[in-house]
Amino acid sequence: MTGSGAPVDRPAFTRRRALAAALGAGAAALGTGTLSGCGNALASDDSTVRLWDLFQGADGGLLNDMVRTARPDMPGTKIERTVLEWGTPYYTKLAMASAGGRGPDVAVAHMSRLAGYAPTGLIDPWDTDALAEFGVRRGDFADAVWSRTQYERKTYAIPLDTHPFIVFYDPKPAKKAGLLAADGTLDAEAFSSPDRFLAAGRELAKASGKQGIAFGYVNDTAQGWRLFYGLYRQTGGVFELPDGGPAKVDLDRITEVIAFMAKLVDGKVNPGRLNYESAVAAFANGQTGMILNGEWELGTFKEANDNVGAAPFPTVFGTPAVYADAHAFVLPHRDSPDADHRRRTHRAVAALLKAGQIWATAGHIPAYEPITRTEEYGELVPQTHYKTAAEHVVLDPSVWFAGAGSDFQNAVSQVIQQALHDGLAPDRAARAMVRRINTFLAKPSPA
Amino acid sequence: MTSPPRVSPRSASGQVRRLFSPGLLFALPFLVLFAAFMIWPLGQGLWMSLTDTSLSAHAPSFVGLDNFTEAFKDAEMWRALGHTLWFTVISTVPLVVVALGMALLVHTGLPGQWVWRLAFFAPYLLPVGVIGLLWLWLYQPDLGLYNHLLDSLGLGTVGWLSEESVAMWAIALATLWWTVGFNFLLYLAALQSIPDHLYEAAAIDGAGGWRRLWSVTLPQLRRITVVITVLQILASLKVFDQVYLLTKGGPNGSTRPVVEYIYDVGFTGYRLGYASAISYIFFALVVLASAVQFLALRRREK
Amino acid sequence: MTSTDTGSRAAAARQVARPIRPLRPPMRRPQSRTRTNLTLGESRTARVLALTALTIGALIWLLPMSWALLTAFKSEADASDPLNWFWPENGFTLEGFSAVWERGDLPLWMLNSLLIAAAVTVITVLVSAMAGYAFSRTRFAGRRWLFVLTVAAVLVPPQILIVPWFQQMLSLHLLDTYAAVILPQTVAPAMVFILKKHFDSLPQELEEAARIDGAGHWRIFWSVLLPLSRPMLAAVAIFVFIGAWNNFLWPFVSTSDPSLMTLPVGITAVKDAYGIQYAQSMASAVLAALPLVVVFVFFQRHIVKSVATTGLGGQ
Repeated sequence: MTGSGAPVDRPAFTRRRALAAALGAGAAALGTGTLSGCGNALASDDSTVRLWDLFQGADGGLLNDMVRTARPDMPGTKIERTVLEWGTPYYTKLAMASAGGRGPDVAVAHMSRLAGYAPTGLIDPWDTDALAEFGVRRGDFADAVWSRTQYERKTYAIPLDTHPFIVFYDPKPAKKAGLLAADGTLDAEAFSSPDRFLAAGRELAKASGKQGIAFGYVNDTAQGWRLFYGLYRQTGGVFELPDGGPAKVDLDRITEVIAFMAKLVDGKVNPGRLNYESAVAAFANGQTGMILNGEWELGTFKEANDNVGAAPFPTVFGTPAVYADAHAFVLPHRDSPDADHRRRTHRAVAALLKAGQIWATAGHIPAYEPITRTEEYGELVPQTHYKTAAEHVVLDPSVWFAGAGSDFQNAVSQVIQQALHDGLAPDRAARAMVRRINTFLAKPSPA
Repeated sequence: MTSPPRVSPRSASGQVRRLFSPGLLFALPFLVLFAAFMIWPLGQGLWMSLTDTSLSAHAPSFVGLDNFTEAFKDAEMWRALGHTLWFTVISTVPLVVVALGMALLVHTGLPGQWVWRLAFFAPYLLPVGVIGLLWLWLYQPDLGLYNHLLDSLGLGTVGWLSEESVAMWAIALATLWWTVGFNFLLYLAALQSIPDHLYEAAAIDGAGGWRRLWSVTLPQLRRITVVITVLQILASLKVFDQVYLLTKGGPNGSTRPVVEYIYDVGFTGYRLGYASAISYIFFALVVLASAVQFLALRRREK
Repeated sequence: MTSTDTGSRAAAARQVARPIRPLRPPMRRPQSRTRTNLTLGESRTARVLALTALTIGALIWLLPMSWALLTAFKSEADASDPLNWFWPENGFTLEGFSAVWERGDLPLWMLNSLLIAAAVTVITVLVSAMAGYAFSRTRFAGRRWLFVLTVAAVLVPPQILIVPWFQQMLSLHLLDTYAAVILPQTVAPAMVFILKKHFDSLPQELEEAARIDGAGHWRIFWSVLLPLSRPMLAAVAIFVFIGAWNNFLWPFVSTSDPSLMTLPVGITAVKDAYGIQYAQSMASAVLAALPLVVVFVFFQRHIVKSVATTGLGGQ
């Protein structure tokens, strides 16, 4: 067994609850009683805050630890987790549960999905005053992150973390290739233009005798988009997606970025056709000296090499920008929420945020800044080396169809794959990408 | 349920009593459920297909035939319909042929009847959730049974659910394993109704096993084969569960059937109105398929 | 395809096929020796070949479940180590099963499935039998076209109704309740059709005697026809139960609350916080498969008969 001990606060299906279930169905089966009563028999008792999230594996275990640690901070309140499948299935279920009005008390969502949620009435705004009472204030979050939580002057999300797309490297070949600064961190200068970036890959390959930079994107539903969008925003090109379209973008810049990406995965100096898992494995096994990936793989890489290095994604095209997303807490809609229970939910979320040090060990940058200011956090290496990424994060465009696990990310990633994998010319790929984006814009917004 | 008054139709008199005749009262519970959960939803679905009803809180407005004109131009919908038809083809053929083969072999009455029936039919009783877990594990690229077997035979590995050219076949294979038992039982029942004297007559004519198969058994199975094929086509057209559980319609949408497209458009994309329109287009296809089969059958029977 | 489809399969078959000969359950058969001689002839090679083909087929068909069983009884470390296939380093263990059982949701999903399938079965069988009786034995205004409508409804795939059902349950504030899962599943026009045909096949004389004794419709239905129809009702009930137990799409759409989910939905939608653990995953699969397979082992004859009769539309 990889997981140790019993998961904390799993739905406690006590006999009482099972009995309630039996009674509920019995009533329905006999056709007696009012039909709508049946579901309510199952409502957990008042002290339980039901949380939905999409964290499995290392993250899932850490969230359990956080819940445990947060307990003293929320006396009399239990958190009951339900873990659902990551990505589209999660957001579909969350939307359906919210529409039905019997969703969980609180749910984790990506900030990049907020544009598809807040205006639709599927989630409710947070009471920032209540949160302040429990020690969580506006000033505790970075502006770049906080601004994304707002819709019509209300706060619809409480950020848990930022998880940027960064670079991991093996310090030994990196040092040999002369890519490290005096203090042992990555020398961003060596990556500060497309040509330098490619040259650095060659140096890494030479130094290790293997290959340079790994990037896994084949058949992936997001990786192509993540790398592309971060790089594109570094070019300073416009990327505006007005309702109904067409998209206002800079075709030349898009072409430039795609061309660079295609040169990067040349299949000689750097591996050419890796999927997500094989790229992770290639770097973890020392087949490449560097990998472009999200910080969430830190645990995997640390296990393979305790000295693994990490740095914010270098500025290749002039303007600092790091692609990222953020996990946040949202309140699924209720027609008439119970005030006490909502308050309890606020308290529970505040308590979880304060246990963010645990979350940071996974590699995520805690959004609640009092955590990142602690000495304890300062000792986390390499986390502190890419902490600055939070200052220049760019999230997905703020449109209803974008965001983590969306069709949009998948569609753009597929176009990019055609250029990187199947040899589609960058300028044609750029036009294909714009066409795909315009079909999304042509769809009516659900809000 | 209400206990109807004990009056026979003959003793009923008067307009009101005829209206609430015992017959109607008997049919009433069904008719109420039928009206509430079949007729009404059919009507509501049709109405929704003419609106922009959304999962979100906004009020729906009437959009006429916009959803339908959009659907007919929607390449993804056509692609999904294509996947559904393709799945129907590659699942129906083996589901009929393999079921026939199994039934013929089991029908020979060789020892071990109980084992054969259990082996071939038991998978049909598994909930599709189990099918999902089980075949994800069997098809797992690194640790799965099938890749391991292939690898140890020196045949390399297959991206069962991750390669576009393979995934639909892999789903059809899992479906074959899962549901062939149903057709197998239907065949077995039909085989048992073949009168023994036909075989005896063939034996007297000196026909061996093969000849008896070709001249007695198979001709006798012609009608049931048509029936099973028709049923299988109708069932395969509605595919959703195992595709959703194994690939979510991927990789890159290459296995997404039209029922999943309805689900994706309606619930993932919030567009319940548009999803209703596609539902009706799909419904028309099913009705058309049924009608074609029905007419073809009628002609054959004549 | 969902298992519910088999319901519509049933009457669709009825429409396309004229009544085929009465189906005998496969168990009751003259001595197998004779049957083998009849079909295969006297050739020894034919017998050996057929037996070999059967054995290979059965092995292929049994492999997936055996593999699942084998995995379920391994420790997590051995499950993800293909080198220790048959002789796991840590021996065989019940760890996976106890972990899954202790988590607590699987037993609850089983209970939900049982309650929902039982409710669907009771309501469907009763309501369909009553309607079948009404269409077969009584006259009332609109009987004919109501029956035509019922038969036509067999063509409606439940898949196209999920969106309006969802909307309906949404406006009734019934989403995430048992009622929402159960009610739409109780409409089974195919079963009404089968039972109507069944009642048609019972001789009228039976009721005449009762009617002369002054029995009303209810008594005739309840005390005369239903007892006579026990095998048919059992066949329909088994069929409906299997369908409801295995139904996926509608329970999946109508429930989001994990404590209300049915077995097939729960084991696939809800994940473990510690990530995919194959031994546990297969342990859940085995536990979820167990109830119906056990029932099948004990009631093989009835189930086989149910599929054979109901699956093609009865007699």
